[in-house]
Amino acid sequence: MSFLPAAGVVMILVAVGSYYATRSLHGFSAFSGANLLLGALLLAVGVVAQARRFRGFSGAESRRVVLRWSASLVGALALVVGVDVAARGWTSRIDLTLDHSYTLSEQTIALCQKLAQRGGEPIQLVFFEDALLAKDVRLLVAAYGDRCPAVETRDARRREPPQAARDLYTTTATTVIACRGDVCDPVGYPSERNITSAILRLSRERAVHVYFTVGHGEIDLASESDTGYAAVAATLRDQGMDPKALVSPAAPDVPEDADVLVIGAPERDFLPEELAVLERYLSRGGRLLVLADAGQHSNVYSELLPRWGFVLDDSVVLDQAASPLLKEATPVNLLVHLFAPYDPVTRNLSQRTMLLFPRARPVGLGRKPQPDDKLAQVAFASPRSWLSQNLARALAGGELQPPAGAQTGNIGVVATGRFPRGTGEPPAEARIVVIGDRDFAQNRLLEALYNRDLLLNAVRWLGNDEQAIALTDKGWTPNQDPLTLQQTVAYFYFLAFALPETLLLLGIYAWWRQRA
Amino acid sequence: MIRRLWALSRKELRQLFASPIAYVVLTVYVALTGIYFFQHLVSYNQLLFVYQSEGLTAGGFDQGTVPSQINVLNEVFVPSADDFGLFLLVVLPLVTMRVFAEERANGTDELLLTCGLRPYEVALAKHGVTYFFVLLLLLGSAIYPAVVVLRAGLGLEHLVALYSGQLLYGCAVASLGLACSSFTSSQIVAAVLGYAIPFVLLDFAWLSNTVSESVAAVLREVALLSHYGSFARGVIELRHVVYFAGIAGLGWLASVASLELARAR
Amino acid sequence: MSAKIEAQGVCKRFGKVVALDALSLEIAAGEIFGLIGPNGAGKTTFIRILTGYWLASEGDVRVDGLSVTRQRFQVQARLGYACEQPKLYPDHRVDKFLHMMGELRGLAGAKLRRATDLAVERLGLGPVLHRHIGVLSKGFRQRVALAQAILHEPAVLVVDEPTVGLDPAQQIELRRILVGFKGQHTVVLCTHQLHEAEMVCDRVALLDQGRLAALATADEIRAGGSLEALFLAKVGTHHEEAP
Repeated sequence: MSFLPAAGVVMILVAVGSYYATRSLHGFSAFSGANLLLGALLLAVGVVAQARRFRGFSGAESRRVVLRWSASLVGALALVVGVDVAARGWTSRIDLTLDHSYTLSEQTIALCQKLAQRGGEPIQLVFFEDALLAKDVRLLVAAYGDRCPAVETRDARRREPPQAARDLYTTTATTVIACRGDVCDPVGYPSERNITSAILRLSRERAVHVYFTVGHGEIDLASESDTGYAAVAATLRDQGMDPKALVSPAAPDVPEDADVLVIGAPERDFLPEELAVLERYLSRGGRLLVLADAGQHSNVYSELLPRWGFVLDDSVVLDQAASPLLKEATPVNLLVHLFAPYDPVTRNLSQRTMLLFPRARPVGLGRKPQPDDKLAQVAFASPRSWLSQNLARALAGGELQPPAGAQTGNIGVVATGRFPRGTGEPPAEARIVVIGDRDFAQNRLLEALYNRDLLLNAVRWLGNDEQAIALTDKGWTPNQDPLTLQQTVAYFYFLAFALPETLLLLGIYAWWRQRA
Repeated sequence: MIRRLWALSRKELRQLFASPIAYVVLTVYVALTGIYFFQHLVSYNQLLFVYQSEGLTAGGFDQGTVPSQINVLNEVFVPSADDFGLFLLVVLPLVTMRVFAEERANGTDELLLTCGLRPYEVALAKHGVTYFFVLLLLLGSAIYPAVVVLRAGLGLEHLVALYSGQLLYGCAVASLGLACSSFTSSQIVAAVLGYAIPFVLLDFAWLSNTVSESVAAVLREVALLSHYGSFARGVIELRHVVYFAGIAGLGWLASVASLELARAR
Repeated sequence: MSAKIEAQGVCKRFGKVVALDALSLEIAAGEIFGLIGPNGAGKTTFIRILTGYWLASEGDVRVDGLSVTRQRFQVQARLGYACEQPKLYPDHRVDKFLHMMGELRGLAGAKLRRATDLAVERLGLGPVLHRHIGVLSKGFRQRVALAQAILHEPAVLVVDEPTVGLDPAQQIELRRILVGFKGQHTVVLCTHQLHEAEMVCDRVALLDQGRLAALATADEIRAGGSLEALFLAKVGTHHEEAP
C-alpha cells in the first residue's frame, strides 16, 4: 500500500474513532468532519494513482474475466444490500427466551382480534428509538406490529413526537406512547402487560368514571378560584374521562360503574359505615386515589390507609431545596424531583421534570396487609429535606434549617400499592395511590411544572382495567442470584487465568516446534 | 469435491495451529471475555446487594424485591454480548490477515491453483476453517456464560440464541477480513484493512446527521451493529441471519474474485 | 501416457511490457522439451500460461487439444508442475504433504497409497519421509516438488529450474530422474543451465525477449557444436549489460 491511500484509511479511522469517543458530548465534530473529508480525498487520489501505476489485464479474455467478476461482486453487493433493506419488514423470528418475552400472549392476541373485528380508528404505538430502554423493547413493539392488526407501530424520536402526543412530556424513560386519535397515553415500564393495558384503555368504548367523595371537607371541583380545583375536573374531561361526585357518602356501596374513586384531602372523619363501604370496595378490587395534606385530621389517614399499609405522620415535609416559584420561598414549598423511574405513576418524571408540592405530608410505608401485596414509595423530597411537627411555625417561615440531630432525606411524598384480592383467577387487583399533597392540583398550580402529569398518571393507572384481559406480567423472574461471590471468583480464576495460561503454553509450544 | 475440500481444510488447520498467533488470539479473547463477564457479574451482584439491603429499602422499593428490569439478562448478558462483539472485532483481523496474504507472499498459491483446484474450493476451505476458529473462540468464551445461564435459569435456548448471534457476527467480520487478505500479499495491509472495513461498517450513526432520512435508513440496515443486538436478548430474527450470511457470502465471493482476477492479471 | 502441446501466437503483456510476443511452439508427446533463454526471456511466463496460472493476453496453448484458456481444469488434471525454488508448506511433513497433494488431485484409498509410495521410491524420498519440509535441504525440497507433480501420473510434467542451487551430486541425481521420465511423460524443462538442457532434452527452444529465437533438436545442436554456440549466435551476451 502506498502512502496516500494508507494515510487516507488512517484519517477516516481517526474520524470515526473520534466521533465515537466524543459522541456523548456533541455530534459529528469539525475535527471528525475534516479528518473524514481529507481522508476520503487522500484515499481517492491514492487509489487513482495506484490504478494508473497498475499494469495488466491485457487481452480480451482477461478483460472478460475482470468484467465478469467485477459485475458479480457489484451485483452481489447490491443483492445483499437490497435484500437487507427489503428484509426490514420480515417478521420471522424464533423467540428463545425462557418466558417468550417477545411473543405476545394469547390474551393480547385475542384482544387484538376483537379490536380488529370491531374496526374503528386504529391504535398507534409510538416507539421512541432514542429512549433509554429502546433496545430492550424494540422486539416487543415489533411483535405488536406483526401480530396485532388493529395496532400500528411507528418509530419516533423524542425531539419530534407525533402531533397528538405533543402535550405529553417525554423523557428518556418514555419508550412507548399509545395513541388513538387525539388521545395519547404514555406507557410506563414498557412491558407487554402495560402496553396491552394502554391499548385496552384507549379502545374502551365508555369513558372512565372517576368518582370524588364529598361531604368531609374535600377539594371543591366546582371552584374556579386560584385555590379551587375546577382544573382537575377539566383536565380529566379533556382526557376522555368522566369526573362525578359521589353525592351520598352514606350510600350502601360505591357505584358499580366507578373506575376510580378519589378522596380529595378530607378534613373530617368518615362515618364508620362509610369506611366499611370503602373497605368493601377495595376488597373487591377497587381503585382509590387519596390526596392528603399536612395538618389535616381524618380517619382516612389514621384508620383506613394504615390498614392498607400506608403510614401518614402528622407532620410537614420541609426542604432546603424549596421552590422559589411561589412568593413564599420557604422550605415548605417542595420541589419534588426524585422518582422511581419506571413506576406507572411517576413514569416520565425525572430530575428535569419536577413537581411543585406546597405543604406536603410524608407518606410512609408500614406493614403489608398480605404477603403478596406490593407497596412502594415512588416520589421523594430531596436528600436535604426533614420533617417538622410544628406546622404553624413552619408555615410562618420559622424553620429554615433542619434542627440539630434531625434525620434528613428519604422522605416519601407519593406511594402506591397493589393488592391482589378476591377468589378470581387471577384475583382482582385493588390499587391505591396516596399523594401527600392536595395543593399541587389547585387551579393555579396544576399546570405548574409537571403536576398535571402526576395526577393523570395516577388516575390512568388506577383506571386501567387489566383484569379485563387477565394478563399477568411475564415478569421474567429468573434466579436473581446466579452465582455466589465465591463461585464467581472461582470461575474467574479458571477462565481469566488458568484457561488462557494453558492456551498460551500451547502457543509457545507451537512456536518452539516451528523453530525447531 | 468433498474430499478435496476436506484435504484443503486439514492443510489450513495445520497452518493455523502451527503458528503461535492462533493460540495468542485464543488466549487474549478468552481472557478478555472472562474478565469483562466477571466485571458485569460483580456489578450485577453489587446492584442486587443495593436493592436487597434492608437499610436501603426505606427509600423506595418494596422490601426485599428487586425490580424486574434489574435482571441477569439486562445487567450481564446484554452488555457482555456488546463487549464480546467488540473483542471479536479486535482479534479476528489478526487471524484473517495471514490466510490468503501469506499464501500469495510465499508463492504457494501457484501450487494450489495449478493442481486443478477451483478457486471457489480454495476460498471455501479457507473461509470454512476461519469460521471454525471463530467457533473455537466462542466456545472458549462460552464457559462462564453457560454456567451462569444454567444457574440463573435463563434456559440453554437463550444461550443458543446469544451464541448464534456471536457466531454469525464473527463469521461476517472474519469473512470481511479474509476478503481483505485475499487482495494483497502483505499481511500488514490485510490487517489494517481488516480492521478498517468492519470498524467503518460497524455503525453509521456518525453519518446519520449529514445524510437524508432515507439514506440514513439504508445505512442503518447496512451497519453491523443494528443486526447484532437482538440475539443477546434471546431472539433469532431471520432478517439478521440473512444479513450476516449475506456479508459472509460477499466476503467469500470477493476472495474467489481475487483469485480469478490474479489469474487475469 | 503423454500428450502433445501446441502453443499458438501466445502473447502476454503487462501494461507496455511485453513478456511473451506471439510465441508458437509444438511439443510432441513423450519428448523432453527444453526452454532456455536469458532472464526475462519469458520462460516462466510461458510456463505459468501453460499451467493455467495466468491467462494469455492473446493466443492459446492446447494440451491434447484442450485449451488452457477455456478448459484449464481439464488441462490441469493432465499436468504436473514443479515450480521454481519449490514453494511448499514448510510446516507439513513430507508424507502428509504428498498425501494431501494426492487427495487434491482426486486420488484416494489404495490408489493414493500406491501413487505416493511410487513417487517416494522414484525420487528417493524414503529417508526424509517423516520430516518437516521446512527443515529439508534444497535438493530434497526439489524432489518433494517433483514427487507431488508426478503423483497422478500426469501426461505433461512441467519443471521450472529444478537444479538451481543444488550441489553437483544432487544435480546429477535430478537429471537422472528427469531422463527417467522420458517416454512416460511429456516433459517441459525450463532451465538456465545450457549443458543441462543439452544433456537431457530431445529438443530445445531458445527464447529471447518473449520471442522464439531458435528451435533445435539434440542432433542439430550437436551438429552445430554446442548449445552455448547457438545461444551466443542468437542472443549474445548483451543481456548481461542491460539494466
